[in-house]
Amino acid sequence: MKNFCSSCIPRFRFLAIIALLSPVCSAVLHATVDDALSFAYEASLPYYKKGFSIRKDAWGGDLAVKDRKAVSAQLFRGNDYWFIMASDVKGASISVHIYDDKGNLVDAESWQRGSTSGMQGPSAGARVNPKYTGTYFAIVQILKSSEDRTPWALVYGYK
Amino acid sequence: MKRISLLAPVASCVFLVLPVYADLAPKKITLSDFPAAAVEEVVIPVPSEIFAVLDKMGNPNWKGQLRSGKTPTPEDRARTALLLGNVIADGFVAVEAEDAERVKELGREVLTLADAINVRKSVITRCKSITDKADQRDWKGVRAEFDGVLQEVRSAMQELNDQDLSQLVSLGGWLRGTEVLTSIVQNGFSKDGAELLHQPELVNYFDRCIGSMHPRLRRNPLVSQIRESLRKIGPLISQGGDSITLEKVKLINSLTRDVDQQIDHGVQ
Repeated sequence: MKNFCSSCIPRFRFLAIIALLSPVCSAVLHATVDDALSFAYEASLPYYKKGFSIRKDAWGGDLAVKDRKAVSAQLFRGNDYWFIMASDVKGASISVHIYDDKGNLVDAESWQRGSTSGMQGPSAGARVNPKYTGTYFAIVQILKSSEDRTPWALVYGYK
Repeated sequence: MKRISLLAPVASCVFLVLPVYADLAPKKITLSDFPAAAVEEVVIPVPSEIFAVLDKMGNPNWKGQLRSGKTPTPEDRARTALLLGNVIADGFVAVEAEDAERVKELGREVLTLADAINVRKSVITRCKSITDKADQRDWKGVRAEFDGVLQEVRSAMQELNDQDLSQLVSLGGWLRGTEVLTSIVQNGFSKDGAELLHQPELVNYFDRCIGSMHPRLRRNPLVSQIRESLRKIGPLISQGGDSITLEKVKLINSLTRDVDQQIDHGVQ
């Protein structure tokens, strides 16, 4: 699992970083995490068009079916946030939901989408309008997948 | 023909409708069930996230927060990285103050400091953009460029395998941003403003970062001074946003101002 800061990095540089960070991973996995990230940015495009600034820092890795990962984030009351998750495994189902530091679900809305003609992998989104400023957790999960390990990536935007 | 034209939008909609399904997320989870390996470290917010909230909270005296004078270029790389973070945060203040000349000066200082830690190449384009957008008074654009500078610098340092310095740039930005935020909040105290300081996980994260740095860096007098200050700030903001009083805001301001002065002038 990595918190990778892609930061406008051209594709080859991004792959180079991933390669440096995980020398034991196969080239195939690098490509799929990278694809998951591309899909996550693609799925966040409608929110960008609605005025959300999409962070270039991103999280990603791979998970087994039903495994969950908690991603910590400092959120500020007064901002509106969308967290967007994606994978490149066709037919997989994934989810992301936001919880506060006491473990309460705080999604203002959420959605999950399967593979479509426009996008080859599944995606999911959760919106939060924090009631207070503090630490929140985006819980990402692979609900269903044909793969033992399913690559995923998560980005977020705010306005 | 009519029929086709009626059906066409319907067909497009069917084509565009995505297969949406809903999972049942539990209303409550136990966070302690997550083993440490299943929890990702907090990602440091970009300054724009905080300024987006401040924008909605009125119009404070940003000009009063601007620092003047030329930023030094220290020989100590740790101090240079912290100073770079400080200067980027100052860039945001200058944007809020709509001071184009100061924005341009800070853009040039970013370039000089980035050069001193070998990441000049990664920010040249951004710095040029800062100047161009400041001339056009495109404040939103300048803000995006300063956000970009911070991220480009961090990425470049990570590529150079210089994670520690990358963290120090973020820390420098956070310290100066917190100094300015506390100064503004204490000048027109409101619970809403004070609540923005409720960032306990970030403070712990910076403390952990320093703890995992190379021993040489950990022993750097400036870095250890900052860690000491972080450990004083932590308890002041850990109890929830509504417990952050004016006295606590003043104390955090004093702690951050002291370390920022040492970043700027060197440890006295």
